Amino acid sequence: MCNASNCKAFFLFFCFCIFSDRGSSAAFSLDLCRLALGNICRRGKKTDMDTAFKSTRCNLLQLACRCPLSKERLRSCKTDEMRVYRSSKELLLQPVVISRNDKEKVFIEGSINSVRVSIAVKQADEIEKILCHKFMRFMMMRAENFFILRRKPVEGYDISFLITNFHTEQMYKHKLVDFVIHFMEEIDKEISEMKLSVNARARIVAEEFLKNF
Amino acid sequence: MSKNTVSARFRRVDVDEYDENKFVDEEDGGENQLGPDEAEVDSLVRQGNLMEALHAVLKNPPINTKNQNVKDRAEGLVLKVLSAFKSSDIEKGVQSLDKNGVDLLMKYIYKGFERPSENSSAVLLQWHEKALAAGGVGSIVRVLTARKTV
Repeated sequence: MCNASNCKAFFLFFCFCIFSDRGSSAAFSLDLCRLALGNICRRGKKTDMDTAFKSTRCNLLQLACRCPLSKERLRSCKTDEMRVYRSSKELLLQPVVISRNDKEKVFIEGSINSVRVSIAVKQADEIEKILCHKFMRFMMMRAENFFILRRKPVEGYDISFLITNFHTEQMYKHKLVDFVIHFMEEIDKEISEMKLSVNARARIVAEEFLKNF
Repeated sequence: MSKNTVSARFRRVDVDEYDENKFVDEEDGGENQLGPDEAEVDSLVRQGNLMEALHAVLKNPPINTKNQNVKDRAEGLVLKVLSAFKSSDIEKGVQSLDKNGVDLLMKYIYKGFERPSENSSAVLLQWHEKALAAGGVGSIVRVLTARKTV
């Protein structure tokens, strides 16, 4: 059955496919160059995760902001479609997971005017779990100042970003993508550092305490 | 208050059903799609003919069917074939596919990421990199915007 909105949706997706394939926009070719360079300069599985992540993210941002269909809906959309309880199927993209193993993964859900990115951080033992939880909570409580952060993570993940068309109008898209990737890279380092300092402090405290005996 | 004697059944009508702009997914009859042929793929993998196995497993994708088992079986088969490839052969395998094949491969790769087992994600990441080099960013966009997934 082919009704008007069906045709519109398919036409839209068709245009995007053609558009993305030719890579005619400068932004696309720039991103692809960065992907290629990133591959050469860095090594290891992290590269794959980042490039996979980056490429999907670039796509999502391009998509979320350049949708001709959306102009009529965007004006009538006060909230981003992620939260409108999946009311209209034509406004949502396929959700996608990219995982490095079953503990670390990234979940990307897109819609016509927003993108939700959820990250599951590696937590190897109890103390890392606690540290991660506290760190994320610290950031999520200040989500208003953060703009793109969500106050609650999606089920099964540790932290979620929600990037809407309003954000991309005020901030550079490629910078947003860079930020999220940078965040993913840094979070593991930060948690290991915190764990080391916790252990060091505990050792000093224990030494001092046991000197009395 | 006197009871309303006229029927109030109009209140139970779901108005959204009759909205002419309502988007309805196309429901193709997908009952006869069975997914790739297990026996054929298994025999090709055992023989070591991995290119042929790759082509065989990407035939007949269970895109339109509603049966979740068929989709799961297809996914498992594809994962088996992808893991059987050596790292150096992955690139050749991707080159041998046409554009639709690369798109289909991407769909399977992303499906495989959803259920990571011990080594599957590492293998899938390598395949993803090569498939991205072949299909470009467009293949990812087509995965995201597809209304019917594999």
